[in-house]
Amino acid sequence: MRGQRLLVSGMGGELGSLVASMLEDEPWVGSLLGIDVDPPRRRLRKAEFLRIEPTDRDRIVDVVTAFDPHVLVHLAVWEPDARAGTDLARAFTEAAAHAFIGAAAECRSLESIVVRSGIELYGRDRHSLTRPDESVVPHPTTEYGRMLTKLEAAARQAGERIGVPVGMLRLAPVLGPHVPSPLGRLLRQPVVPYSLLADPPFAVVEDADAARAFVAAAQRRLDQALNVVGSGAITGLQAIARGRRIPVPLFGPEWGLTRRLSHMVGAPIPDHVLEVLHRGRLADGSRAHELLGVAPRVSTPEVIDRLYAWESVVRVPSPVRGAA
Amino acid sequence: MATIIDLPRRAFDTTRSIAMAPVRPLIPAGMVDEWGRDEHVIRALSPLLRMRWNVNVGGDQHLPARAGALLVTNDRRFSFSPLYTSWALAQATGRPVRFVGHPDVVPFGPALRRMGAILRNPAEVRSALHHGELVVLAAAPTNHPRSAGAVDPALVGAAVMAGVGVFPVASMSSPLGRSARVQVGAQLRPRKKRRGPLAEQELAEMTQRHLQRMLDELGGMQTGMTAIDWLGEG
Repeated sequence: MRGQRLLVSGMGGELGSLVASMLEDEPWVGSLLGIDVDPPRRRLRKAEFLRIEPTDRDRIVDVVTAFDPHVLVHLAVWEPDARAGTDLARAFTEAAAHAFIGAAAECRSLESIVVRSGIELYGRDRHSLTRPDESVVPHPTTEYGRMLTKLEAAARQAGERIGVPVGMLRLAPVLGPHVPSPLGRLLRQPVVPYSLLADPPFAVVEDADAARAFVAAAQRRLDQALNVVGSGAITGLQAIARGRRIPVPLFGPEWGLTRRLSHMVGAPIPDHVLEVLHRGRLADGSRAHELLGVAPRVSTPEVIDRLYAWESVVRVPSPVRGAA
Repeated sequence: MATIIDLPRRAFDTTRSIAMAPVRPLIPAGMVDEWGRDEHVIRALSPLLRMRWNVNVGGDQHLPARAGALLVTNDRRFSFSPLYTSWALAQATGRPVRFVGHPDVVPFGPALRRMGAILRNPAEVRSALHHGELVVLAAAPTNHPRSAGAVDPALVGAAVMAGVGVFPVASMSSPLGRSARVQVGAQLRPRKKRRGPLAEQELAEMTQRHLQRMLDELGGMQTGMTAIDWLGEG
Protein backbone atom coordinates (compact mmCIF):
# COMPACT_ATOMS: atom_id res chain seq x y z
CA MET A 1 0.00 0.00 0.00
CA ARG A 2 3.00 2.32 0.36
CA GLY A 3 3.89 4.81 -2.34
CA GLN A 4 0.33 5.67 -3.30
CA ARG A 5 -0.25 8.59 -5.63
CA LEU A 6 -3.02 10.89 -4.45
CA LEU A 7 -4.69 13.68 -6.35
CA VAL A 8 -6.52 16.32 -4.32
CA SER A 9 -8.79 18.57 -6.33
CA GLY A 10 -9.66 21.77 -4.50
CA MET A 11 -6.41 21.76 -2.52
CA GLY A 12 -6.42 25.56 -2.35
CA GLY A 13 -9.42 25.73 -0.02
CA GLU A 14 -9.08 25.48 3.73
CA LEU A 15 -10.44 21.95 3.78
CA GLY A 16 -8.26 20.92 0.83
CA SER A 17 -5.15 22.36 2.46
CA LEU A 18 -5.94 20.59 5.71
CA VAL A 19 -6.51 17.27 3.96
CA ALA A 20 -3.24 17.71 2.04
CA SER A 21 -1.25 18.50 5.19
CA MET A 22 -2.69 15.42 6.92
CA LEU A 23 -2.02 13.22 3.90
CA GLU A 24 1.61 14.38 3.89
CA ASP A 25 2.02 12.74 7.30
CA GLU A 26 0.56 9.43 6.18
CA PRO A 27 3.20 6.74 5.57
CA TRP A 28 1.18 5.13 2.77
CA VAL A 29 1.12 8.32 0.69
CA GLY A 30 3.94 8.44 -1.85
CA SER A 31 3.27 11.51 -3.95
CA LEU A 32 0.59 14.13 -3.62
CA LEU A 33 -0.67 16.45 -6.33
CA GLY A 34 -3.12 19.27 -5.75
CA ILE A 35 -5.03 21.36 -8.25
CA ASP A 36 -7.16 24.40 -7.54
CA VAL A 37 -7.88 27.89 -8.73
CA ASP A 38 -6.44 29.34 -5.49
CA PRO A 39 -3.10 28.46 -3.89
CA PRO A 40 -3.11 26.35 -0.69
CA ARG A 41 -3.86 28.12 2.59
CA ARG A 42 -1.00 26.52 4.49
CA ARG A 43 2.61 25.51 3.96
CA LEU A 44 2.90 22.05 2.45
CA ARG A 45 6.19 20.13 2.43
CA LYS A 46 5.65 17.23 0.05
CA ALA A 47 2.66 18.16 -2.04
CA GLU A 48 2.99 19.55 -5.51
CA PHE A 49 0.43 22.19 -6.40
CA LEU A 50 -0.80 23.41 -9.79
CA ARG A 51 -3.02 26.42 -10.22
CA ILE A 52 -5.57 25.56 -12.91
CA GLU A 53 -9.05 26.97 -13.50
CA PRO A 54 -11.83 24.36 -13.14
CA THR A 55 -13.07 25.29 -16.61
CA ASP A 56 -9.70 24.44 -18.21
CA ARG A 57 -10.63 20.79 -18.73
CA ASP A 58 -7.99 19.95 -21.32
CA ARG A 59 -5.16 20.99 -19.04
CA ILE A 60 -6.69 19.18 -16.06
CA VAL A 61 -7.03 16.01 -18.12
CA ASP A 62 -3.40 16.25 -19.28
CA VAL A 63 -2.06 16.80 -15.79
CA VAL A 64 -4.22 14.15 -14.13
CA THR A 65 -3.58 11.44 -16.71
CA ALA A 66 0.16 12.13 -16.57
CA PHE A 67 0.09 11.84 -12.76
CA ASP A 68 -2.01 8.62 -12.94
CA PRO A 69 -3.32 8.71 -9.35
CA HIS A 70 -4.34 5.73 -7.25
CA VAL A 71 -6.85 7.84 -5.32
CA LEU A 72 -8.78 10.96 -6.28
CA VAL A 73 -9.95 13.08 -3.35
CA HIS A 74 -12.42 15.43 -4.97
CA LEU A 75 -12.91 18.53 -2.83
CA ALA A 76 -13.48 21.03 -5.65
CA VAL A 77 -16.99 21.92 -4.54
CA TRP A 78 -18.12 25.54 -4.31
CA GLU A 79 -20.73 26.19 -1.64
CA PRO A 80 -23.02 29.01 -2.82
CA ASP A 81 -22.08 32.36 -1.31
CA ALA A 82 -18.98 30.95 0.37
CA ARG A 83 -16.39 32.01 -2.21
CA ALA A 84 -18.66 32.61 -5.21
CA GLY A 85 -22.28 33.48 -5.85
CA THR A 86 -24.79 30.73 -6.49
CA ASP A 87 -24.56 30.74 -10.31
CA LEU A 88 -20.78 30.77 -10.36
CA ALA A 89 -20.60 28.15 -7.62
CA ARG A 90 -22.88 25.85 -9.61
CA ALA A 91 -20.90 26.36 -12.82
CA PHE A 92 -17.50 25.81 -11.12
CA THR A 93 -18.68 22.74 -9.24
CA GLU A 94 -20.09 21.13 -12.39
CA ALA A 95 -17.04 21.98 -14.46
CA ALA A 96 -14.66 20.65 -11.81
CA ALA A 97 -16.68 17.45 -11.40
CA HIS A 98 -16.63 16.74 -15.12
CA ALA A 99 -12.95 17.55 -15.49
CA PHE A 100 -11.52 15.78 -12.43
CA ILE A 101 -13.75 12.72 -12.28
CA GLY A 102 -13.63 12.35 -16.05
CA ALA A 103 -9.85 12.64 -16.11
CA ALA A 104 -9.37 10.28 -13.18
CA ALA A 105 -11.56 7.71 -14.90
CA GLU A 106 -9.00 7.61 -17.73
CA CYS A 107 -6.21 6.64 -15.35
CA ARG A 108 -5.23 2.96 -15.30
CA SER A 109 -3.97 3.03 -11.72
CA LEU A 110 -7.09 4.58 -10.21
CA GLU A 111 -8.34 2.51 -7.27
CA SER A 112 -10.65 4.84 -5.42
CA ILE A 113 -12.60 8.10 -5.64
CA VAL A 114 -13.59 10.05 -2.54
CA VAL A 115 -16.00 12.92 -3.09
CA ARG A 116 -16.95 15.80 -0.84
CA SER A 117 -20.69 15.99 -0.44
CA GLY A 118 -23.02 17.43 2.20
CA ILE A 119 -26.07 16.60 4.27
CA GLU A 120 -27.84 19.42 2.40
CA LEU A 121 -28.80 16.83 -0.23
CA TYR A 122 -31.31 15.17 2.12
CA GLY A 123 -33.46 18.29 1.94
CA ARG A 124 -35.75 19.53 4.65
CA ASP A 125 -39.17 19.18 3.11
CA ARG A 126 -42.19 18.87 5.35
CA HIS A 127 -42.25 15.46 7.08
CA SER A 128 -38.68 14.69 6.08
CA LEU A 129 -36.78 12.71 8.70
CA THR A 130 -35.20 14.64 11.57
CA ARG A 131 -31.90 12.73 11.41
CA PRO A 132 -31.60 11.03 8.02
CA ASP A 133 -29.00 8.32 7.75
CA GLU A 134 -27.21 7.24 4.59
CA SER A 135 -30.03 4.92 3.53
CA VAL A 136 -32.45 7.82 3.05
CA VAL A 137 -32.98 8.73 -0.60
CA PRO A 138 -31.76 12.30 -1.23
CA HIS A 139 -34.51 14.79 -1.85
CA PRO A 140 -32.76 18.15 -2.05
CA THR A 141 -34.77 21.29 -1.43
CA THR A 142 -32.02 23.87 -2.01
CA GLU A 143 -29.67 24.72 -4.86
CA TYR A 144 -26.62 23.49 -2.95
CA GLY A 145 -28.38 20.22 -2.21
CA ARG A 146 -29.18 19.74 -5.88
CA MET A 147 -25.57 20.50 -6.81
CA LEU A 148 -24.33 17.86 -4.40
CA THR A 149 -26.87 15.28 -5.60
CA LYS A 150 -25.67 15.78 -9.19
CA LEU A 151 -22.06 15.53 -8.09
CA GLU A 152 -22.67 12.27 -6.24
CA ALA A 153 -24.55 10.84 -9.21
CA ALA A 154 -21.71 11.76 -11.59
CA ALA A 155 -19.09 10.19 -9.32
CA ARG A 156 -21.15 7.05 -8.75
CA GLN A 157 -21.77 6.58 -12.47
CA ALA A 158 -18.10 7.02 -13.27
CA GLY A 159 -17.15 4.54 -10.55
CA GLU A 160 -19.61 1.95 -11.83
CA ARG A 161 -18.35 2.32 -15.40
CA ILE A 162 -14.72 1.76 -14.54
CA GLY A 163 -15.26 -0.54 -11.55
CA VAL A 164 -13.73 1.69 -8.91
CA PRO A 165 -15.15 2.23 -5.39
CA VAL A 166 -16.61 5.67 -4.78
CA GLY A 167 -16.89 7.07 -1.27
CA MET A 168 -19.01 10.13 -0.64
CA LEU A 169 -18.59 12.05 2.56
CA ARG A 170 -21.72 14.01 3.33
CA LEU A 171 -20.47 16.75 5.59
CA ALA A 172 -22.57 18.81 7.96
CA PRO A 173 -21.95 22.56 7.45
CA VAL A 174 -18.19 22.89 7.85
CA LEU A 175 -16.89 25.61 10.18
CA GLY A 176 -13.29 26.48 10.89
CA PRO A 177 -11.07 29.49 11.56
CA HIS A 178 -10.53 30.25 7.89
CA VAL A 179 -13.31 28.30 6.23
CA PRO A 180 -15.43 30.57 4.03
CA SER A 181 -18.87 29.54 5.25
CA PRO A 182 -22.02 31.61 4.78
CA LEU A 183 -23.47 30.10 7.97
CA GLY A 184 -20.36 30.92 10.02
CA ARG A 185 -20.19 34.39 8.53
CA LEU A 186 -23.83 35.07 9.40
CA LEU A 187 -23.50 33.80 12.96
CA ARG A 188 -20.49 36.04 13.56
CA GLN A 189 -22.36 39.21 12.64
CA PRO A 190 -23.09 41.46 15.64
CA VAL A 191 -26.83 41.19 14.97
CA VAL A 192 -28.15 37.80 13.85
CA PRO A 193 -31.67 36.92 12.67
CA TYR A 194 -33.38 33.70 13.72
CA SER A 195 -36.78 32.13 13.19
CA LEU A 196 -38.94 32.92 16.21
CA LEU A 197 -41.59 30.30 15.45
CA ALA A 198 -39.32 27.42 14.48
CA ASP A 199 -35.77 27.93 15.81
CA PRO A 200 -34.87 24.38 14.76
CA PRO A 201 -31.73 22.46 15.74
CA PHE A 202 -28.77 21.97 13.43
CA ALA A 203 -25.40 20.27 13.59
CA VAL A 204 -22.04 21.30 12.18
CA VAL A 205 -18.59 19.77 11.85
CA GLU A 206 -15.18 21.33 12.36
CA ASP A 207 -12.86 21.45 9.35
CA ALA A 208 -10.15 19.32 11.02
CA ASP A 209 -12.66 16.56 11.76
CA ALA A 210 -13.89 16.65 8.18
CA ALA A 211 -10.30 16.46 6.92
CA ARG A 212 -9.56 13.43 9.11
CA ALA A 213 -12.60 11.70 7.64
CA PHE A 214 -11.30 12.29 4.09
CA VAL A 215 -7.89 10.86 4.95
CA ALA A 216 -9.49 7.75 6.48
CA ALA A 217 -11.88 7.37 3.53
CA ALA A 218 -8.99 7.54 1.06
CA GLN A 219 -6.96 5.02 3.02
CA ARG A 220 -9.83 2.57 3.52
CA ARG A 221 -11.17 2.88 -0.04
CA LEU A 222 -14.63 3.85 1.16
CA ASP A 223 -17.30 2.58 -1.22
CA GLN A 224 -20.50 4.25 -0.07
CA ALA A 225 -22.01 7.48 1.20
CA LEU A 226 -21.30 8.43 4.80
CA ASN A 227 -22.53 11.29 6.97
CA VAL A 228 -19.86 13.22 8.87
CA VAL A 229 -21.56 15.23 11.59
CA GLY A 230 -20.37 16.65 14.89
CA SER A 231 -22.16 15.23 17.93
CA GLY A 232 -24.88 17.24 19.63
CA ALA A 233 -27.00 19.97 18.12
CA ILE A 234 -27.83 23.58 18.68
CA THR A 235 -30.54 25.98 17.62
CA GLY A 236 -30.01 29.37 16.00
CA LEU A 237 -31.01 31.24 19.14
CA GLN A 238 -28.75 29.11 21.31
CA ALA A 239 -25.82 29.75 18.97
CA ILE A 240 -26.51 33.49 19.05
CA ALA A 241 -26.71 33.41 22.85
CA ARG A 242 -23.41 31.54 23.06
CA GLY A 243 -21.77 34.17 20.88
CA ARG A 244 -23.39 36.99 22.85
CA ARG A 245 -24.77 38.43 19.64
CA ILE A 246 -28.01 40.38 19.39
CA PRO A 247 -30.82 38.07 18.24
CA VAL A 248 -33.41 39.43 15.85
CA PRO A 249 -36.59 37.33 15.90
CA LEU A 250 -38.26 37.07 12.51
CA PHE A 251 -41.64 35.58 11.56
CA GLY A 252 -41.63 35.19 7.80
CA PRO A 253 -42.05 37.92 5.18
CA GLU A 254 -39.31 40.12 6.63
CA TRP A 255 -36.74 37.43 5.84
CA GLY A 256 -36.57 38.74 2.27
CA LEU A 257 -35.54 42.19 3.46
CA THR A 258 -33.16 40.68 6.02
CA ARG A 259 -31.44 38.63 3.32
CA ARG A 260 -30.87 41.74 1.22
CA LEU A 261 -29.56 43.72 4.18
CA SER A 262 -27.32 40.86 5.23
CA HIS A 263 -25.98 40.61 1.69
CA MET A 264 -25.14 44.33 1.75
CA VAL A 265 -23.14 44.00 4.97
CA GLY A 266 -21.13 41.11 3.54
CA ALA A 267 -22.95 38.06 4.89
CA PRO A 268 -25.25 36.76 2.15
CA ILE A 269 -27.80 34.16 3.23
CA PRO A 270 -28.16 31.53 0.47
CA ASP A 271 -31.23 29.31 0.46
CA HIS A 272 -29.48 26.36 2.15
CA VAL A 273 -28.48 28.57 5.10
CA LEU A 274 -31.99 30.00 5.27
CA GLU A 275 -33.23 26.42 5.39
CA VAL A 276 -30.93 25.72 8.35
CA LEU A 277 -32.52 28.61 10.24
CA HIS A 278 -36.09 27.66 9.28
CA ARG A 279 -36.10 23.87 9.16
CA GLY A 280 -32.85 22.84 10.84
CA ARG A 281 -30.25 20.41 9.58
CA LEU A 282 -29.39 17.22 11.42
CA ALA A 283 -28.13 13.86 10.22
CA ASP A 284 -27.17 10.54 11.71
CA GLY A 285 -23.39 10.33 11.62
CA SER A 286 -23.00 7.20 13.72
CA ARG A 287 -21.68 5.00 10.90
CA ALA A 288 -18.60 7.14 10.33
CA HIS A 289 -16.79 5.68 13.31
CA GLU A 290 -17.76 2.16 12.36
CA LEU A 291 -16.58 2.43 8.75
CA LEU A 292 -13.74 4.95 8.93
CA GLY A 293 -12.45 4.36 12.43
CA VAL A 294 -12.62 8.08 13.09
CA ALA A 295 -15.44 10.22 14.40
CA PRO A 296 -15.64 13.97 14.82
CA ARG A 297 -13.85 14.93 18.03
CA VAL A 298 -15.40 18.34 18.43
CA SER A 299 -19.12 18.54 19.22
CA THR A 300 -21.47 21.00 17.55
CA PRO A 301 -21.74 23.35 20.57
CA GLU A 302 -17.92 23.34 20.89
CA VAL A 303 -17.53 24.23 17.20
CA ILE A 304 -19.97 27.11 17.70
CA ASP A 305 -18.03 28.28 20.77
CA ARG A 306 -14.80 28.16 18.77
CA LEU A 307 -16.48 30.02 15.92
CA TYR A 308 -16.93 32.97 18.26
CA ALA A 309 -13.48 32.59 19.78
CA TRP A 310 -11.64 32.83 16.46
CA GLU A 311 -9.95 36.15 15.90
CA SER A 312 -11.52 38.35 13.23
CA VAL A 313 -8.16 39.80 12.29
CA VAL A 314 -4.89 38.04 13.04
CA ARG A 315 -2.18 40.67 13.46
CA VAL A 316 1.26 39.51 12.48
CA PRO A 317 3.95 41.93 13.68
CA SER A 318 6.07 43.40 10.92
CA PRO A 319 9.45 41.61 10.71
CA VAL A 320 11.18 44.87 9.78
CA ARG A 321 9.89 46.73 12.82
CA GLY A 322 10.62 43.70 15.02
CA ALA A 323 14.24 43.61 13.83
CA ALA A 324 14.64 47.31 14.50
CA MET B 1 -1.39 49.26 0.85
CA ALA B 2 -4.59 48.45 2.69
CA THR B 3 -4.93 49.40 6.33
CA ILE B 4 -7.16 47.94 8.99
CA ILE B 5 -9.66 50.30 10.53
CA ASP B 6 -10.57 49.52 14.14
CA LEU B 7 -14.22 50.11 14.91
CA PRO B 8 -15.05 51.29 18.45
CA ARG B 9 -15.45 47.73 19.57
CA ARG B 10 -15.53 48.30 23.31
CA ALA B 11 -18.28 50.93 22.97
CA PHE B 12 -20.24 48.56 20.76
CA ASP B 13 -19.84 45.66 23.19
CA THR B 14 -20.98 47.83 26.10
CA THR B 15 -24.06 49.03 24.19
CA ARG B 16 -24.88 45.50 23.17
CA SER B 17 -24.49 44.24 26.72
CA ILE B 18 -26.83 46.93 28.07
CA ALA B 19 -29.38 46.31 25.31
CA MET B 20 -29.38 42.56 25.92
CA ALA B 21 -29.48 42.66 29.74
CA PRO B 22 -33.30 42.51 30.11
CA VAL B 23 -33.79 39.61 27.70
CA ARG B 24 -30.66 37.56 28.42
CA PRO B 25 -32.27 35.42 31.17
CA LEU B 26 -34.99 34.42 28.71
CA ILE B 27 -32.54 33.07 26.13
CA PRO B 28 -31.58 29.47 26.71
CA ALA B 29 -27.81 29.34 26.44
CA GLY B 30 -27.56 25.57 26.35
CA MET B 31 -27.86 23.11 23.57
CA VAL B 32 -30.35 20.56 22.37
CA ASP B 33 -29.67 16.88 21.92
CA GLU B 34 -29.27 15.19 18.56
CA TRP B 35 -33.05 14.89 18.14
CA GLY B 36 -33.79 18.46 19.14
CA ARG B 37 -34.93 17.71 22.71
CA ASP B 38 -34.13 20.59 25.02
CA GLU B 39 -33.47 19.63 28.63
CA HIS B 40 -33.45 23.32 29.58
CA VAL B 41 -37.00 23.82 28.27
CA ILE B 42 -38.24 20.62 29.90
CA ARG B 43 -36.77 21.67 33.25
CA ALA B 44 -38.35 25.09 32.88
CA LEU B 45 -41.75 23.60 32.06
CA SER B 46 -41.63 20.88 34.73
CA PRO B 47 -43.34 23.00 37.42
CA LEU B 48 -46.22 23.65 35.02
CA LEU B 49 -46.48 19.99 34.10
CA ARG B 50 -46.38 19.09 37.80
CA MET B 51 -49.23 21.53 38.42
CA ARG B 52 -51.32 19.71 35.84
CA TRP B 53 -50.35 16.10 36.55
CA ASN B 54 -49.26 14.33 39.66
CA VAL B 55 -48.04 11.15 38.02
CA ASN B 56 -47.58 7.92 39.92
CA VAL B 57 -45.16 5.71 37.97
CA GLY B 58 -44.98 1.96 38.44
CA GLY B 59 -43.22 -0.91 36.73
CA ASP B 60 -40.34 1.19 35.42
CA GLN B 61 -37.95 -1.54 36.55
CA HIS B 62 -39.05 -3.46 33.45
CA LEU B 63 -37.38 -0.92 31.18
CA PRO B 64 -33.86 -1.58 29.88
CA ALA B 65 -31.12 0.49 31.49
CA ARG B 66 -29.38 1.50 28.26
CA ALA B 67 -30.98 -0.14 25.24
CA GLY B 68 -33.82 1.33 23.21
CA ALA B 69 -37.44 0.32 23.74
CA LEU B 70 -40.82 1.10 22.26
CA LEU B 71 -43.36 1.95 24.96
CA VAL B 72 -46.92 1.71 23.70
CA THR B 73 -49.50 3.57 25.73
CA ASN B 74 -53.25 4.04 25.47
CA ASP B 75 -54.58 7.49 24.62
CA ARG B 76 -57.87 8.99 25.65
CA ARG B 77 -58.74 11.89 23.37
CA PHE B 78 -57.22 15.19 24.51
CA SER B 79 -55.54 13.56 27.51
CA PHE B 80 -51.98 14.23 26.15
CA SER B 81 -51.01 10.84 27.55
CA PRO B 82 -47.81 10.51 25.41
CA LEU B 83 -46.64 13.85 26.79
CA TYR B 84 -47.11 13.15 30.49
CA THR B 85 -46.08 9.51 30.11
CA SER B 86 -42.76 10.44 28.50
CA TRP B 87 -42.18 13.25 30.99
CA ALA B 88 -42.94 11.03 34.01
CA LEU B 89 -40.86 8.11 32.71
CA ALA B 90 -37.94 10.43 31.98
CA GLN B 91 -38.04 11.57 35.59
CA ALA B 92 -38.37 8.00 36.87
CA THR B 93 -35.60 6.51 34.74
CA GLY B 94 -33.25 9.49 34.41
CA ARG B 95 -33.11 8.90 30.66
CA PRO B 96 -34.52 11.12 27.92
CA VAL B 97 -37.83 9.64 26.79
CA ARG B 98 -39.23 10.68 23.45
CA PHE B 99 -42.77 10.43 22.15
CA VAL B 100 -44.06 9.90 18.65
CA GLY B 101 -46.20 12.37 16.81
CA HIS B 102 -45.31 16.01 16.45
CA PRO B 103 -47.04 17.82 13.61
CA ASP B 104 -44.50 19.23 11.19
CA VAL B 105 -45.93 22.76 11.29
CA VAL B 106 -44.79 25.82 13.19
CA PRO B 107 -45.08 26.64 16.00
CA PHE B 108 -46.45 23.36 17.43
CA GLY B 109 -44.00 21.00 15.75
CA PRO B 110 -40.83 22.77 16.87
CA ALA B 111 -42.26 23.35 20.36
CA LEU B 112 -43.12 19.67 20.81
CA ARG B 113 -39.78 18.63 19.38
CA ARG B 114 -38.07 20.64 22.14
CA MET B 115 -40.07 18.50 24.58
CA GLY B 116 -38.89 15.27 22.99
CA ALA B 117 -41.35 14.59 20.19
CA ILE B 118 -40.31 12.85 17.00
CA LEU B 119 -42.17 12.45 13.72
CA ARG B 120 -44.83 9.77 13.32
CA ASN B 121 -42.79 8.01 10.69
CA PRO B 122 -41.59 4.39 10.94
CA ALA B 123 -38.12 5.32 9.65
CA GLU B 124 -37.77 8.07 12.26
CA VAL B 125 -38.96 5.77 15.07
CA ARG B 126 -36.67 2.99 13.91
CA SER B 127 -33.70 5.35 13.83
CA ALA B 128 -34.40 6.56 17.37
CA LEU B 129 -34.81 3.00 18.68
CA HIS B 130 -31.67 1.90 16.88
CA HIS B 131 -29.76 4.59 18.76
CA GLY B 132 -30.94 3.28 22.12
CA GLU B 133 -33.74 5.75 22.77
CA LEU B 134 -36.88 5.12 24.81
CA VAL B 135 -39.82 6.07 22.60
CA VAL B 136 -43.44 6.38 23.72
CA LEU B 137 -46.01 5.58 21.06
CA ALA B 138 -49.71 6.23 21.55
CA ALA B 139 -52.26 3.70 20.42
CA ALA B 140 -55.20 5.02 18.39
CA PRO B 141 -57.12 7.54 20.52
CA THR B 142 -60.35 6.38 22.13
CA ASN B 143 -63.20 8.12 23.87
CA HIS B 144 -63.26 5.77 26.82
CA PRO B 145 -60.34 6.14 29.24
CA ARG B 146 -60.08 2.44 29.93
CA SER B 147 -60.14 1.26 26.37
CA ALA B 148 -56.94 0.60 24.41
CA GLY B 149 -57.09 1.60 20.75
CA ALA B 150 -55.48 -0.19 17.86
CA VAL B 151 -51.69 -0.07 17.65
CA ASP B 152 -50.11 0.89 14.32
CA PRO B 153 -48.26 -2.22 13.04
CA ALA B 154 -45.95 -0.07 10.88
CA LEU B 155 -44.62 1.73 13.94
CA VAL B 156 -44.34 -1.51 15.94
CA GLY B 157 -42.45 -2.83 12.92
CA ALA B 158 -39.85 -0.15 13.57
CA ALA B 159 -39.11 -1.83 16.90
CA VAL B 160 -38.99 -5.26 15.25
CA MET B 161 -36.55 -4.01 12.64
CA ALA B 162 -34.43 -2.21 15.24
CA GLY B 163 -34.38 -5.37 17.37
CA VAL B 164 -35.64 -3.71 20.55
CA GLY B 165 -38.36 -4.67 22.99
CA VAL B 166 -41.97 -3.49 23.01
CA PHE B 167 -43.52 -2.65 26.39
CA PRO B 168 -47.20 -1.90 27.09
CA VAL B 169 -47.65 1.18 29.26
CA ALA B 170 -51.08 1.79 30.77
CA SER B 171 -51.71 5.45 31.42
CA MET B 172 -54.62 7.06 33.13
CA SER B 173 -55.37 10.61 34.15
CA SER B 174 -58.28 12.66 35.32
CA PRO B 175 -59.51 15.42 33.04
CA LEU B 176 -60.25 17.57 36.10
CA GLY B 177 -57.87 16.46 38.82
CA ARG B 178 -54.09 16.15 38.93
CA SER B 179 -53.98 12.43 39.60
CA ALA B 180 -52.37 10.42 36.87
CA ARG B 181 -50.89 6.97 36.71
CA VAL B 182 -48.36 5.35 34.41
CA GLN B 183 -47.86 1.60 34.73
CA VAL B 184 -45.16 -0.12 32.65
CA GLY B 185 -45.76 -3.77 31.84
CA ALA B 186 -43.21 -6.48 31.15
CA GLN B 187 -41.66 -6.77 27.70
CA LEU B 188 -43.94 -8.51 25.21
CA ARG B 189 -42.60 -11.76 23.86
CA PRO B 190 -44.57 -13.25 20.97
CA ARG B 191 -45.02 -17.00 21.20
CA LYS B 192 -44.07 -17.55 17.58
CA LYS B 193 -41.03 -16.10 15.87
CA ARG B 194 -41.97 -14.62 12.53
CA ARG B 195 -39.58 -13.73 9.75
CA GLY B 196 -41.89 -11.52 7.73
CA PRO B 197 -44.43 -8.74 8.25
CA LEU B 198 -46.63 -10.99 10.37
CA ALA B 199 -44.20 -10.24 13.21
CA GLU B 200 -45.29 -6.63 13.59
CA GLN B 201 -48.94 -7.39 12.85
CA GLU B 202 -49.14 -9.98 15.60
CA LEU B 203 -47.03 -7.93 17.98
CA ALA B 204 -49.26 -4.88 17.49
CA GLU B 205 -52.37 -6.93 18.25
CA MET B 206 -50.69 -8.53 21.23
CA THR B 207 -49.70 -5.07 22.54
CA GLN B 208 -53.30 -3.87 22.32
CA ARG B 209 -54.54 -6.96 24.18
CA HIS B 210 -51.95 -6.58 26.94
CA LEU B 211 -52.65 -2.89 27.24
CA GLN B 212 -56.37 -3.60 27.59
CA ARG B 213 -55.69 -6.17 30.28
CA MET B 214 -53.52 -3.73 32.21
CA LEU B 215 -56.17 -1.01 31.96
CA ASP B 216 -58.83 -3.43 33.23
CA GLU B 217 -56.62 -4.27 36.20
CA LEU B 218 -55.87 -0.63 36.96
CA GLY B 219 -59.48 0.49 37.38
CA GLY B 220 -60.46 4.13 36.94
CA MET B 221 -59.25 7.27 38.62
CA GLN B 222 -61.63 8.38 41.36
CA THR B 223 -62.69 11.95 41.89
CA GLY B 224 -63.77 11.29 45.45
CA MET B 225 -67.27 12.51 44.66
CA THR B 226 -69.56 9.62 43.82
CA ALA B 227 -71.94 11.61 41.67
CA ILE B 228 -69.24 12.75 39.27
CA ASP B 229 -66.92 9.76 39.43
CA TRP B 230 -67.61 9.12 35.75
CA LEU B 231 -65.59 12.28 35.03
CA GLY B 232 -62.63 10.86 36.86
CA GLU B 233 -62.64 7.80 34.72
CA GLY B 234 -60.19 9.31 32.38
